[in-house]
Amino acid sequence: MILKDFLAELDALAREATAALQAAGDPAAIEAARIQFLGMKSGRLRGVQKGLAGIPPADRPSAGKRFNEVKHAIEAALEAAQARLAGAAGPHAGPTRFDPTVPGHRPRTGHVHPISQTIEDLKDIMGRLGFTVAYGPEVEDEWHNFEALNIPLEHPARDPLDNFYLATAAAGAGHTKAMLLRSQTSTVQIRVMERVRPPVRIISLGRVYRPDDADATHYPMFHQIEGLLVDRRVTMADLKSVLRLFARSFFQDDVHIRFRPSFFPFTEPSVEVDMSWHGRWIEMGGAGMVDPNVFRAVGYDPEEVSGFAFGLGIERICARRHNVTDIREFFKNDVRFLHQF
Amino acid sequence: MLVSWNWLQEYVPLSMRVEELEERLMMAGLNHESTQRVGQDLAIDLEVTSNRPDCLGHVGIAREIAVLWDLPLAVPAAQPAEGRTSVADLVRVQIDCPDLCPRYTARVLRGVRVGPSPDWLVQRLAAVGIPAINNVVDVSNYVMMECGQPLHTFDYAKLRGPEIIVRRPAPGETITAIDHKTYRLEPGMCVIADAEVPVAIGGVMGGAETEVSRSTRDVLVEAAEFDPVSIRTTARGLGLHSTSSYRFERRVDPAGVDWASRRCCELILETAGGELACGALDVGRPPEARQPIVLRLAQLPRILGIQIEPERVRKILLALGNVETPASLACEETLTVIPPSWRPDLTREIDLVEEVARIHGYDRIPEDVSVPMAPSSRLREDRVMEKIRQVLVAAGFDEAITLSVVDEAAARAMRPWTDAEPLQSLTPVIRGADRLRTSLVPSLLAARRTNEALANPEIELFEIAKVYLPATRERGPGLPDEQWMLGLTSGRDYAAVRGVVEAVVAALNRSATLEAEESQIELLDPQASCRLRIAGQPLAYVGRVRPEAIKQFDLRGPTCVAEVRIAPLVAKADLVPAYDPLSPYPAVSRDVNLVVAEAVRWARVAVTVRQSAGPELEDLAYRDTYRDPQRLGPDKKSLLFTLTLRSKEGTLTNAQADEVRNRIVAACRQEFAAELRAG
Repeated sequence: MILKDFLAELDALAREATAALQAAGDPAAIEAARIQFLGMKSGRLRGVQKGLAGIPPADRPSAGKRFNEVKHAIEAALEAAQARLAGAAGPHAGPTRFDPTVPGHRPRTGHVHPISQTIEDLKDIMGRLGFTVAYGPEVEDEWHNFEALNIPLEHPARDPLDNFYLATAAAGAGHTKAMLLRSQTSTVQIRVMERVRPPVRIISLGRVYRPDDADATHYPMFHQIEGLLVDRRVTMADLKSVLRLFARSFFQDDVHIRFRPSFFPFTEPSVEVDMSWHGRWIEMGGAGMVDPNVFRAVGYDPEEVSGFAFGLGIERICARRHNVTDIREFFKNDVRFLHQF
Repeated sequence: MLVSWNWLQEYVPLSMRVEELEERLMMAGLNHESTQRVGQDLAIDLEVTSNRPDCLGHVGIAREIAVLWDLPLAVPAAQPAEGRTSVADLVRVQIDCPDLCPRYTARVLRGVRVGPSPDWLVQRLAAVGIPAINNVVDVSNYVMMECGQPLHTFDYAKLRGPEIIVRRPAPGETITAIDHKTYRLEPGMCVIADAEVPVAIGGVMGGAETEVSRSTRDVLVEAAEFDPVSIRTTARGLGLHSTSSYRFERRVDPAGVDWASRRCCELILETAGGELACGALDVGRPPEARQPIVLRLAQLPRILGIQIEPERVRKILLALGNVETPASLACEETLTVIPPSWRPDLTREIDLVEEVARIHGYDRIPEDVSVPMAPSSRLREDRVMEKIRQVLVAAGFDEAITLSVVDEAAARAMRPWTDAEPLQSLTPVIRGADRLRTSLVPSLLAARRTNEALANPEIELFEIAKVYLPATRERGPGLPDEQWMLGLTSGRDYAAVRGVVEAVVAALNRSATLEAEESQIELLDPQASCRLRIAGQPLAYVGRVRPEAIKQFDLRGPTCVAEVRIAPLVAKADLVPAYDPLSPYPAVSRDVNLVVAEAVRWARVAVTVRQSAGPELEDLAYRDTYRDPQRLGPDKKSLLFTLTLRSKEGTLTNAQADEVRNRIVAACRQEFAAELRAG
């Protein structure tokens, strides 16, 4: 057989096969066409393939190439026909039962609480600024919650009505030390400084407790993050700069930091921290230089080291970030709420 | 603290606009709350921090303004004209409790005409929200708002003795105060009494009986100092917070006590006439001399990070009322000053550093210095908890945050980790919740109830938080044992929830194995609950909540719960797993259906299977348990499991796979008389 005849036969076969497959209106017709043209034993393509052996060797490569092309074309036509009947043909295939607007089956995925997400972000940013996380107990003694933080017995902050003191059981013989739910995470600063020598660069974070009536902006339990940096030659300029780096990272904007004088027993100077946000100043939290009395309480020499501390309320940051107008939502755990974040 | 714009002008000329005043005061430590027009005046509300009692009067605020704008400050001299009669001939004063009242001064005016105050006085008080009563009372209020020292005026004629005795109340003593309520006086309080009965609650409120009225002719003016803590407890104990107690709680200016008394008398003479008796009775401890404070100028850059000219530093401190000692001038590196009597907050060098910084302006501190870098690493427990969150979120659980404190019923419902009584707070944290929880599960069930009430269809919650296990006899008294826990509540069945716990463990350590036993937790169905251990340590419990407990928690639908201790997971976590080389050959699986006695537990079978399988066993997966007394016999069950087999040497043939299976079956036959179930 010469090449020309072989090619002509192939072309005719291709035409007939595609026509038959396009015309096939049901699976049986498609199957019949498949057997007729592509059947393994006596399909017509198979028959033509046998003719390949009779082609002169020089023409065989081009004959083989063309044969493969035709074979693929017929197979493609078969797939198209099958797909058309299955209702998954392209837009030109005419009306089908497939509706692309029907949604998929979504797996149920859980959501991390927005407070946890905020905490993770804060830890992440402070971690990049070299602050390592430290945890401490939520039930504290008066030394760590007050005394070591330069809050003496006569300070109003120690009033039983402003704290959640625990009813200490009379079981323990001898003197039972008063315990309370910590009112601030600064307690962790004391515990860390009691344990390690400077330099210290930590953030402590977690739950704190204060007897506030629950309303849109208060809850008797909330989360705080506190940073502490102690080293030789740490200044208030470092404090301002670290807070600015933090705010720029967190809010992804070129914010500025403003200090207003304030009063906290454990820092001096003490300041309220504001940051510029969309053209106005908003409150970030409290900060200051670690009070020399705090250093003395943990056995650091205030002549040798200096340091700063700052504290931010996490609920407030989180609420502002997500436009949550009532912080009680954070503790209601309504699944619909949790799924918004 | 409400201040009047017009009133301030009496001490300092206000050349600035009110907005500028508000802003600058805020930046110097007096937060601006609001400004309201009152008649021809402006009432400016400033927030005064508890360390600045000097700013609880107009003179103090005026002084801040004078310092900030470099303006002159004029404070009245308060030199009332005195008559001939000595005050000592008119009244006797005695302090029996110097711990509660270290100092008491009294002056007496006779022949005053009590009546309405002049307009200027009424307007001043109106601007700061104090209603006018009569000229004598109004003057005492005026002076308090002028300098911050509360005063009290008594109707002299009604004082028996006439005598003033400052003492603790006698048992059962009561007083009717000027608010016409009767208060029962407690032992720790301080009363001002005449020769017979209490006539005032010292520093908190006067008594109705000796109050100055229209008929009063002679007046005793009290200016005293009271112990701040005692004032606070008294005001709190009686629920009587007054402008007076507020100031005494924050300490008054000891050197200003007499000034206030003179000023009060001066203005009473001016507005109500009369004659002031000569001298004052001044009993108790005189004001102590303040100790000098040394400020090393080098401390300013060391703490603040900026240089401030020594002359500027000196100017600020002197303008604030500090007095430089003669010795100070001899040394260039330091400034030594004696702080003013009205600033109890200035006792140390760092206090002066703050004063200088505050007035110089924090805006001068740069916000762009380079802070040295430092390494930081994530805590192991944080990494473990993050991984746990990942697994749970992927498993379809939402994270909840619930209150750490629960009510008594919830605290008693579930005590899986301790038998000890939970710790209790003296006051409930929120409605009835006063027990520090020893399990997260009751709180999660409450959150479940909230969601059920909202008809939320899928309630799959977890929480990572602490429980507070009371200190035990072994641990000795002290802080409780706080343990991180993972709690779960789910609408899925027991096996599914247990699977989630297993997945958490596997995510942290792929080769960790768990041991299981019956739970014996009251709240849980014994047929669908267990306790799990890891490396011999208690790790978790998982179980279906019993129908009675569902009712107890007011829930509608069934739920399974779990609680997992995080500490053993932190200990066991393999956070940087090592690579295990993979075989390039395909796996072959074999299902095995093994009939064993009912008493044989899966864990035992699994051990035998693993021991007998050889190196080809890649995975052993439990599938199911069948029971069919007819076909399997009574007290028998059939365990269906799948073996995944793979060799490192080559593709396993069917014959090789069968051989492994047969070996396993043989071992199980020997161990438990197990039989392969016929197809």
